[in-house]
Parts: sequence; structure tokens; C-alpha cells
Amino acid sequence: MLTFTLRRLALFLFTMMVLTLLSFSLSFLFPGDTVINHSGQINATATDLAKLNEAYQMDKNIFRQYSAYLQHIINGDFGQSMASQSPISNEIIELLPATIELSLVALLIAMLVGIPLGFIAAINHNKTSDNAILSFAMIGYSIPVFWLGLLAILLFSIGLGWLPSSGKISLLFEIEFVTGIQFIDILLSDSPYKWQAFNNASAHIILPACVIALAPATIFIRLSRAAMIEVLATSYIRAARAKGLNFRQIIFRHAIRNALIQIIRHVGLQFANLVTLAMVTEVIFSWPGIGRWLIESISQRDYTAIQSGLLALSCFIFIVHILTDFIYAALNPLARGNNHGS
Amino acid sequence: MAREKIYQEEVFPSPFMQLWGIFRKTPVAMVGFCCFIFLITLAIFAPIISPYSPVESNLEMILLPPAWHPDGNVSYLLGTDELGRDMLSRLMYGTSLTFGLSFIVVVFSLVIGVVIGSLSALTRGFKSSFLNHFLDVILSIPSLLLAIIIVAILGPGIGNTVWAIAIVFIPQFIHITRYAVKEEFRKDYVLASRLDGASNFRILYYSVFPNIVERLMSQATLAQSAAILDIATLGFLGLGAQIPLPEWGAILANGLEHFYIAPWTVYLPGLAILFAVVATNLVGEGIRHALKLRKES
Amino acid sequence: MAVSMMNFKFIHFLTVAALISSIMGCNEGDISSLSERSIIYCSEGSPETFNPQLSTSGTTSDASAKQLYNSLIVYKGNKNTLAPSLASSWHVTRDGKKITFYLRQDVNFHQTSYFTPTRKLNADDVLFSFNRILDKDHAFHQISGGQYSFFQSVKFSELVEKIEKINDFTIRFILKRNDSSFLANLATDYAVILSEEYGQQLTTQDKQHEIDILPIGTGPFKLQDYRVGSLIRFYRHDEYWQEKAKIEQLVYDISPNKSNRLTKLLAKECDVSSYPIAHTTIAERSDLTLESITSLNVGYFGFNTQKAPFDNKLVRQAISLAINKQALIDTIYQGQAARAKSILPETSWAYDSETPELGYDPVRAKSLLEVAGYAQGFTMDIWAMPVQRAYNPSAVTMAKLIQADLKKIGVKVKIITYEWSTFLRRLSMGEHQSFLLGWTADHPDPDNFFTPMLSCTSREKGSNRTFWCNKEYDELLKKALTTTNMSKRKGYYAQAMTIINEEMPLLAIAHSKRFQARGTDVKGDILENFGGISFYDVYKSNNVSNTNKVMAPNKKAKVID
Repeated sequence: MLTFTLRRLALFLFTMMVLTLLSFSLSFLFPGDTVINHSGQINATATDLAKLNEAYQMDKNIFRQYSAYLQHIINGDFGQSMASQSPISNEIIELLPATIELSLVALLIAMLVGIPLGFIAAINHNKTSDNAILSFAMIGYSIPVFWLGLLAILLFSIGLGWLPSSGKISLLFEIEFVTGIQFIDILLSDSPYKWQAFNNASAHIILPACVIALAPATIFIRLSRAAMIEVLATSYIRAARAKGLNFRQIIFRHAIRNALIQIIRHVGLQFANLVTLAMVTEVIFSWPGIGRWLIESISQRDYTAIQSGLLALSCFIFIVHILTDFIYAALNPLARGNNHGS
Repeated sequence: MAREKIYQEEVFPSPFMQLWGIFRKTPVAMVGFCCFIFLITLAIFAPIISPYSPVESNLEMILLPPAWHPDGNVSYLLGTDELGRDMLSRLMYGTSLTFGLSFIVVVFSLVIGVVIGSLSALTRGFKSSFLNHFLDVILSIPSLLLAIIIVAILGPGIGNTVWAIAIVFIPQFIHITRYAVKEEFRKDYVLASRLDGASNFRILYYSVFPNIVERLMSQATLAQSAAILDIATLGFLGLGAQIPLPEWGAILANGLEHFYIAPWTVYLPGLAILFAVVATNLVGEGIRHALKLRKES
Repeated sequence: MAVSMMNFKFIHFLTVAALISSIMGCNEGDISSLSERSIIYCSEGSPETFNPQLSTSGTTSDASAKQLYNSLIVYKGNKNTLAPSLASSWHVTRDGKKITFYLRQDVNFHQTSYFTPTRKLNADDVLFSFNRILDKDHAFHQISGGQYSFFQSVKFSELVEKIEKINDFTIRFILKRNDSSFLANLATDYAVILSEEYGQQLTTQDKQHEIDILPIGTGPFKLQDYRVGSLIRFYRHDEYWQEKAKIEQLVYDISPNKSNRLTKLLAKECDVSSYPIAHTTIAERSDLTLESITSLNVGYFGFNTQKAPFDNKLVRQAISLAINKQALIDTIYQGQAARAKSILPETSWAYDSETPELGYDPVRAKSLLEVAGYAQGFTMDIWAMPVQRAYNPSAVTMAKLIQADLKKIGVKVKIITYEWSTFLRRLSMGEHQSFLLGWTADHPDPDNFFTPMLSCTSREKGSNRTFWCNKEYDELLKKALTTTNMSKRKGYYAQAMTIINEEMPLLAIAHSKRFQARGTDVKGDILENFGGISFYDVYKSNNVSNTNKVMAPNKKAKVID
């Protein structure tokens, strides 16, 4: 486990280096002055500029510049947004949790729906229910997420009036910002309308989370179906069957456990996919998360925000990636000896 | 393959033809394949067969519903949009933009990816490990996110979107080629031709590629369905095709404003995207299914 | 991670439970009383500041002027007569140069988490508010940039000689000359009264810049929370000098995307929506009402009179004659606008129904072009603004239509558009040949159309992008300002419009309406006559008696904490 941890740590550091390098080089690739792209201070006076050049060591060689940039990042200074002129780190701290919350709920929905369906399909391999589930998976995988979001709003918010269409909570409720994760903040708040707020927030998250969850759920269907078919073909299952265990015991005691381990490996990669879907969905459901902010920043050409938003988002995705690797390794000792990172 | 038959020998179809034999027998996959061919034809011939211009407005025919609606007009089969442009023509032209471009993008990145991937498969040591990790990092960033960032650098527009998506897909092809080539290189038949004195390039070209081409195709269909969705999504977000262009995602975004009065301006492009992606996925699914059957046989 | 995953599983369980309960409709009760006492307004953008003195943007004044502040006097009623507000009465000397205001003595400023007033409004506050604009050495003049656009455009500092405090509740403006639009300017949304005591507090704390970010005023609402791009939350000002507002909470849900605003309105997530689209859909719904007010604006097609061939007035006339204005109005505004005869809309008191209009006559246009020496036609460019405004919802589409019209008289058109700020910058440098733009008046005084749009002075610094300058026209405007006789003024303006019609520096196209949609349960007037909004009179009708009951003080105090 120690070498495994060290390997992952090395990979993590390597990735962070690549990501910061990427975001550092974005400042050069974007139009405009590099130091202004770094700092976002578009209204800087000549003296401000001199100070910034000093701080980012722009007169030194490229390595010194990079290390100066890195230092700023480590100190939590992402510069300020060119559009709103407020510190980007504040905006990220405010927006990233909303995205995390939404994507985690969506991930849970995707897993809770996708994995059992995949198992059912595998158990009924090549039967009607298998084909039905696979066809559903195909459609779900192919449907453009923004279109699905629109249809969902039209049906559930406007047609039936069941669920709200935008935002993460009705604006009437005032929830103080503590962690940024809405549900936790509501529970921590002392508002007299706590439970109404909680219900309201739940109603708000259902629609976007389900829309995001559809495509990953279909992938979980395929993954769990494949894993289950593989497990059911193994010799230990045959042995169990030969011992006279009934179907229920075989599936619940042996097959599911082993199949699940295979699936957990893929959660990390699926999560990255899911966050991207969340970015688009946030636009449609006006969810105040980092995806919507990033897309707005692009249309406003707010380069400092794009650069830092990308860094924060990909760090987050990568951290989840590594964490799932750890969970997988903890559950499956065989994986720890694996030589390469993938 | 014009080879003279000297010996009375049973002819083995090439791996690719074997695959096609199996593929042909799967009805669903063939349906997908026909749709795919249909879309490609449409993409090529859209300017010839579409009844109207996709960008010129006709102010007498604003927001006309599709023909089956009581208020519809048969000469505008799928209705018109807020400037009186024929939806059918726009969707046809959109096929060349969304579907056609995604096809070109995938072919382009496939070629580049295979070249880099096979070269890198032959390297070892630190360079290889570095590349491995680098690819891991790139592949852990979702394609759409990466495309969005590249568009942010290049600026919005359909041309830049195409470049962005092409760049984004190259790493996956590098990765899969590299992996497949390495795997093949460990096999005995490669060793055999190596013992015959074949150069690396010769082995790659004559021995390895015919054996991995279906895997690449299967990856290509996955990439294309993603490319269609990415081009459409970028168009929808206003980062891809710009306003008058009839790109499906952009048509949909354009229709949003009239969603409640003219829902067909949103339903139709959405259905078109869905249709194209399903067709592509059916083909890919067919290839994977055939691959699996061939392995088993 | 594992721990937080557990948490999420738990939360997920609750989510599902909440879904069930919300579908069952169990959670009405309290939330409905909360929403009955509040209004959610879907607004179209984020305000740049909370001080309307600083900006002429409609979004900014909508979010600040009538909600947070009061001015000395206001316009009231359908006839737009001046009425008292913070000044209970005023007196103008015969020569029109001395204007004395007598202030109310019972006006409280907002009490908020960042400021607690110790005194009521007095003359110092009025002095503070106007000296900030007038006096370049004033401690607060340069805070937030020192640009007081509205006051600069009406040359306020050249007009006012000084402001005198007579006693604590009497204040006198001394003008350099008589100006009949002076009182009108003081009644605009821009001439608000700030708190001098708050200014002092900020000075001692060295946080002067906060004066426009965390505002203190006397208006019916006070600011509770502002998140750029997301929301503005106002609470009722309970010590308001008039009867306090009927709603306790006012939330601006900032939704720049127009289809998002419509969705929120249809899904009942906002009570009132600004600038709605899909008017027919809203009109069809029995639970929504669509209302509109003719706002004082004009959308126009202007020519750069400094550039050939538009330095020739015959060409300008020919082009204007060739444009089918009615078709533009029907397509672009979808009938929601009145055709403009000249730059002044029908709602202005100075409007003259006799104003001549050029009309649509492509045959005459063609012959005029021949006279001007362009029988073969020519190629020109049209600059179309990239943003949507009430006076022109889609300039690019309009440019396309004009392109088709002009093709018929042999004139080829290239359509040019830039990103908004670039567009405005390049226009001010005069790079264009012709352009589509518009003007929204800040107050009902007709001068607000004539001077900024077409006078010689505004050619240099203001907003006259036709670069047209006509001495006779300017002379008429000057005469109109120095007289207080309404019918005389009207006469001067009619003459000015005749000159415009003859010279054609621009072709006025339409005066559009400002639209707003709301749920039928929302009562009270919101739209003001000059395009602004006020939520002071608004309430929800379902349960008026019940509203009073739930306003029990202890409960409310809790909400505010």
C-alpha cells in the first residue's frame, strides 16, 4: 500500500505540475498582456503594472516566472476577474461547492439507477429485459444533454408544475454561506424556515441532477452489465452453484460484491464526464456553479477567470479520480501491485 | 490483393472482411449503418437537394408550423423559423456542419493519432513513461471541457471549434493505437516477421495495422458520437457556430427564444442530433458486437 | 471522502423523501406565507452601482432609484406634474434663478447591519448629495470614478451657481440662468438624496468606496444582500416616512437570458419579469398578465453627415424614402411599437401631431439619387448594434431588411457589427457611414431628446453620432430652454423637428413600449411613466388579511437576523 500511495502521490504532483503549467501558459496564449492575464487587473496604472511585473517576475526567465506564478497560486491568489474585478478565489470558493454538490448527487443517482439495471440486464443476459435495458442505455447515451434539460423543464416545471426549473433554492430563503454545500448550510443555519428550505432545495436539485445522471447512468449500466457477466462466468461462481447455493445467495453474496469492485474503478473517469455534463446543465438550469461561470467567462473573454476556473475544475476532477483509485485499491488488494497509472 | 493463385488453397477473408460478414448479419447494426450512410449522403448533397436557402429570410412565412399541423404549409415541410427560413433546409445544411464536420474531424484526428501512437509505441523508458502520464492527464480532462478551453483561446467560431475538437480527440487515438500496437508486438506472428528481418515500419504496416483497424474503427465511432455532441453543445452555448450558420446546436439555441410559440424550432434540431448520434452508436455497437463474436469463433 | 460520501447518501435519502413530500404537497403552509410577503422580480442584468447619480443605465436605476432612495420632488399622475417628495414644498423666484426647497422633518434613513442613523434627514444631506456632483474637490466626488453622466449631459455644474443651506430644513439652489428643465432634472431617478452622516462614518472608517456599494437612502426598501450576476435582496424600510411598503422582502433574480426569464415566469419562480419575450404565450395564460407602457424612446437609423455620400442631404433623404418603415416595425417589433414621425414620441407633451413625415416612396428616392449624381447607386455600410434594447430588439435583422429595401434603388449595403463596447467606441470615432441605434429619455422634458441626440455640443462630447450640426436648430433649442411658456416651447420644438425632417441627419423609426409580465396575484403599479420601476405599491392579493397576521413582530425580527 505504501508504494501504491507513493505512486499516486507522484502522479498527483506530476498532474498538478502539468495543470499549473497549462494554466500558466494560457496567459501567454490568450490575447493581451501576459501579466494582465495573470492578474486580471485590466485597469492597472503604470505603477500597478510595475508592481505586478515585479510580483510575477516578468523580467526574469520563464522558469522564474513560472515559479512566481506557482507561488501566487499556492497562496490562493488567482488574480481578479476581468469582468467583475473581484478576487477569483472568492468566486471559486463560492461556486465550486455548488457544482460539487450537484455532480455528487447526480453521480449517486447515476450509480443507484445504473448499477442495479446493469445487474438485472446481466442476469437476464440476452433476454427481452436485457435488450430493453440496453436500448434505453443507447438512447440515454445519445441524447444531447442540453436538449434533455429543456424537455425536462418543459414537462416537469411548466407542464406539470412539479419541480422548479432554475437555481438551487428559492431566492426567498436566506441561507448563510458556510461550506457552500447547500444542504449542509441549511442544516447549520438557524432560519425558522429550515425544513421548508430543505425541501425546497431538494426539489431544486432533482431535475438537474437527473438530467446530468442519465448519460453516466447508461455507462454504469454497460459497465455493471459487463462486470456481472464476467463474474457470473468465473469458476468460483460455478463452484458456488455446484455447492448448491441458490440463485439469490449466489448473486447477493458473491457476484454483486465482486462486480462492484470492477465498477468502482471507473467511477473516477465517469465523474470527469459527469462534471462536463454538469457544466452544460448548469447553464440550462441557471445553477450557480462553476461551469456556468466558466462558460460566461468565455463569452465575456475574462481570461483570468477562464485560466483559474479551468485549473480549479480539473484539480477537483483529478482529486476525485485519485480518491476513487484509493478506494478501489483499499477494496481490492490485487490492484495495489499494478505498475502503471491507468 | 491481386495475388496469383498457384496453390489450391482455401482463401481466408481478411480480418476486416470477416468482421463485415458478421456485422452484415446484425439487423440493428445494419439499420444504423444505413442511417449513417444516409447522413453522409445528405451531408455531401445538402446544397443540391435542399429546397430553400438556409440563411435567406422570407418575411411572409414567419414561424410557420410543420406541414402536418393544421396551419402548416406543404411547401415548408418542417415549418419555418422566426425569419421565415425553411427548417428542413436548415437541418439539411446542418447535417453537413454538425455531422459532416464531426466525421472529418474524427478522420483527421484518427490519422494523426495513429501516426503518433505507433511511433510512440516503439519508444521505451523515460520518454514512454512521461508520455503515458501525460496522456493520462489529458484523458482525465473531459473532451468537452478541453474543447471549451481551446475555443476560449482561439475565440468562438465554427472553424475554431473544429480545430479544438480535432486536437481533443488526438490523444485518445494515440492512447488506443499505442496500447494496441504494444499488445500486438508481443505476439508471436510479429516475432516471426521480425525474425524474417522485417523493419519496424514494415511490421506495423503489413502485420499490425490489419489486426487493429477494427478496434480503431470502434474507437472512431465512439469519438464521432462524442464529436457530434461536442460540436452541437458548443454551438448551443454560443461558442461554436455563429448565428446565421445552420449548425444543429446553434439552431436549437436560436429557437429557444421562440420555444413556447414555435416548439418545433427546438424539437427538430434536438431530434436530428439524437438521430445522428444513435446511428453512429449503432454502427459502433455493431462493430464491437462483431469483434466479440469473431473473437469467440 | 468516505465520510462525506456517507453524508451524501444520507442527504440523497432525504432528497428522495423531500421529493415525495413535495409532490404530495405537504410543504405548503409556512412557505406560502413567506412568499406572500415577498416579491421575486426577474431582472435583466446586474446593476453597476447602487447610486443612480453615477449611471444612466436603466438596469442600475431600476435596482436603486425608486427602491432605495427618494428625490426632492417627483413626477406624479398621468399628466406628469411635479409633486412633493422629500421636499414638502418649493418656491421659484420670478426670474427663475433661485429655487428654495422646504424639507420634510420626519424622514428616516435606512438602518442596516453597516449603518445606524442617529438623526433624520436634513439640509446637510441634500447639500452632500448635490455637492458630491458639483464640487470637484468634494471628498466623495472622485469615489467610484467621478462620472455623473446624467448631470454632465444636462450641464448641471454649469447651470448651478451654488447651493445654500438656509436652515436645517430649508435649502436654496442659485442658478446662473433660468432653465425650464431644472426642476424636471431634479425629479429624475438620478437626483437622489444620500446620507451625509453615512458619508462621515465611512470617512472616519476610511472606507469611502463603500458608499455606492452598500447604499443608505430614505427609500421604501433597504439593501440586504447583493451577489453580482445572481441576486439583490431588499428588506422593507420599516421607518419609511410614508406608509411602509406592503411587501417585506423584495428579491431581484438577475437573469440576463431572456428565455430563462420566460421559463421562470411560466414556472412561477418569479412573480414579475422584466422585458418578457413570447408575448402571445403570456397573453394566453390566465394566470399571467402582460402590461406595457410607452416609454420615452426612439429607435433610429442615423447617417454620418461628415462622410460622403451622406454629407449630401439629398442622398440622406433618398435613403430615408426608400425604407419601408412600417414593414420594419411589423417584423422587428412585432407590432409592439408606434411608428415614429420624428424623434419625439407621442407621449411627450411637446409632441405635435402636425409633425411632417417623409414616408415611403422608392420612386422619388430613385429620382433624388439621380439629382444627387448617384444614378448608378453606390455601396454603403450599416452599423448594427449587437445588443437588444427596447427601442431596437434586433438591429441586425433590421439592417438585413433595410439592405433588401435599398437594393431596390440600386444601393448595395454591407452590414457591420462589433462587440458592444467596441461598437460604441468606433462609432464615437466616426468610422461608420450609417448606423442603427436608439435613445431613451431620462425624464419627460423634450429637451432630453433634442439636445443629446443632435445638437452641435453633443457632437463633440455627447451622443450625437450623426455629427450633424445646424446653427438654426441649436438656436431654437436654446430659445426653448429659456422660456417657461409651454406652448411657446412646443412651437420651437415643432420647428426643430421640421428642420430634422428637411435635413434628415437621421430617420426615426419607432417608439417602442416597455413590457413587463407578472402573475395575476401581484397587484399594484410597478412600471413608472418614464420607464423606471417601483415596487412600493406592490402586494400579493391572495390573502391580504392573513398577511397582517403573520407579520407578527417577533417572527419577522427573526427573519431579518
